[in-house]
Amino acid sequence: MPKILDSLRGAATEAGGALLGRLQHARLPGVGQSSVTDDPDTAARRWRAVTVLCSPERIGTGADLPAPLAALGDRLEVRITPAPGDKGTELAARFRDRPSDDDLGRLRAALREAKQLIEVGEVLRVDPVPHGVREPTPQGAALEGMTAAAGKEGVL
Amino acid sequence: MRAATWTGVNEVSVETVPDPQILNEHDVILRVRRTTTCGSDLHLLGGYIPFMRAGDVLGHEFLGEVVEVGRGVRERKVGDRVVVNSFVACGTCWYCRQELYSLCDNGNPDPGITEALWGQSPGGCFGYSHAMGGWAGSHAEYIRVPYADVGAFVVPDGVSDERALFASDAVSTGWMGADMGGTRPGDTVAVWGAGGVGQMAARAAMLLGAEKVFVVDRLPERLAQVRTHVGAETIDYSQTDVLAELREQTGGRGPDVCIEAVGMEAHSPGVHGVYDQVKQQLRLQTDRPSAVREAILACRKGGTVFVLGVFGGMVDKYPLGAAMNKGLTVRGAQVHGQRYTPRILERMARGELTTEHLATHTMSLEEAPRGYRMFKDKTDGCVRAVFTPNG
Ligand SMILES: NC(=O)c1ccc[n+]([C@@H]2O[C@H](COP(=O)([O-])OP(=O)(O)OC[C@H]3O[C@@H](n4cnc5c(N)ncnc54)[C@H](O)[C@@H]3O)[C@@H](O)[C@H]2O)c1
Ligand SMILES: [Zn+2]
Ligand SMILES: [Zn+2]
Repeated sequence: MPKILDSLRGAATEAGGALLGRLQHARLPGVGQSSVTDDPDTAARRWRAVTVLCSPERIGTGADLPAPLAALGDRLEVRITPAPGDKGTELAARFRDRPSDDDLGRLRAALREAKQLIEVGEVLRVDPVPHGVREPTPQGAALEGMTAAAGKEGVL
Repeated sequence: MRAATWTGVNEVSVETVPDPQILNEHDVILRVRRTTTCGSDLHLLGGYIPFMRAGDVLGHEFLGEVVEVGRGVRERKVGDRVVVNSFVACGTCWYCRQELYSLCDNGNPDPGITEALWGQSPGGCFGYSHAMGGWAGSHAEYIRVPYADVGAFVVPDGVSDERALFASDAVSTGWMGADMGGTRPGDTVAVWGAGGVGQMAARAAMLLGAEKVFVVDRLPERLAQVRTHVGAETIDYSQTDVLAELREQTGGRGPDVCIEAVGMEAHSPGVHGVYDQVKQQLRLQTDRPSAVREAILACRKGGTVFVLGVFGGMVDKYPLGAAMNKGLTVRGAQVHGQRYTPRILERMARGELTTEHLATHTMSLEEAPRGYRMFKDKTDGCVRAVFTPNG
């Protein structure tokens, strides 16, 4: 079981959520969670996509892709299609080979960063954020781990 | 700098924390002049939104003076007195272009948590946990404001800090409920909750032309404020059968627009209240929805229920049958503040929208723990505690 899932459970139970584990078809931050009923091979082959408010040409191809995607190189297949209803361009990617959990996390982060680079010109940063004393509690540590990973997690 | 932080369930402390710095080109740093408690903070404080880390700086409704600007900032400059919206929005994504600012795709740097909870991630919010971006809050001497050209509005000279402060969140939220609830001239509007948000929803409904506006609550001092400062009628739900009263007052039709401004910790006097509380404590449901239920049952056929109160997860005994068979529109949203703030500031400048009465208790930042206690327990008539971090 991915570690983040344990952490999440810990945090949620401790402070009062515990809802996550109760959701039918729970989609928890974690590997391959874009689909919970697919078998792992099918899940790994799914296109992961963001919609970017720009024209298809703006996205580029190959080495001209936004840097975070270009960095993943030839391992990626990329699909660029206009989004219906003037919603911009659908930017989708998947690995040609069978990706590891880390690979999928990197791809999620790369897609999100690519979108931000095009839409706002830079990647939003939150750290270092001003904060008070952080006691090393298990719940706090879990949440920290979860936050640190959050750019690479989610259902994307 | 000094800042008020969350240090555990129902614990607030004032600590010395590092100063914020500019990290993105569109950031500004603000010297905070006024910052206030919001009902949403209570859900965080109580641990109902379990993504707070001890030491996180609280606060998302604030006003201050720009002291530093990033290279990419075009319209704000050092010295500007600005009120800032609670949600962080980029202004350029598809959602921002539709003026759905709280849904901004680029306002939450940690979208994984809310995606997992809700399927898609809404935007980020200052001082509102790691689920909403992990942004430091405004109960501090200084705060970093990203996308400042989009979310920080210059306050017109004639409008005082005391009044403009609430354009940040309470007024814009109330205005959104009345506007997106579809209030039209001649309508009857009912609002549940007489906190800052509910009062401002009622005021907005009146300014949008509603003919009759009712506010439902049980706290006498808040209901008195509604009558005196807002000019709406009141219903005390601890004394009156709300559904019967609204039916009688509306010729049997029910209100055209029902606005819920209570949220996940709603209080309920009857059997339902006990049921909800027990289920919430056993974690069988996360939220207590009693005001939402009542709003759905009260609403006229074909009317709209707008949920402004914050909910996090699952509710139970949701009257879907009433919603479906009466042909209701049920909507909700976190505040699209950037959409409403300019017109709110204009109305404030013209004296049509006054908010000073909400600030029942103004105090130094060092007194934030006391302020939160009063606000949470609703003691001494507290409606909003306002902190002045820079004196
Ligand atoms: N949508 C948004 O963007 C947004 C913005 C700000 C606040 N909020 C939410 O709006 C809600 C209200 O905020 P606030 O700052 O006014 O809070 P508040 O705590 O000051 O006021 C809540 C009021 O609801 C009353 N109440 C409780 N149970 C009730 C019931 N069953 N029927 C009628 N009234 C009842 C309480 O007595 C209290 O006066 C909160 O849930 C808050 O999280 C949402
Ligand atoms: Zn708020
Ligand atoms: Zn946006």
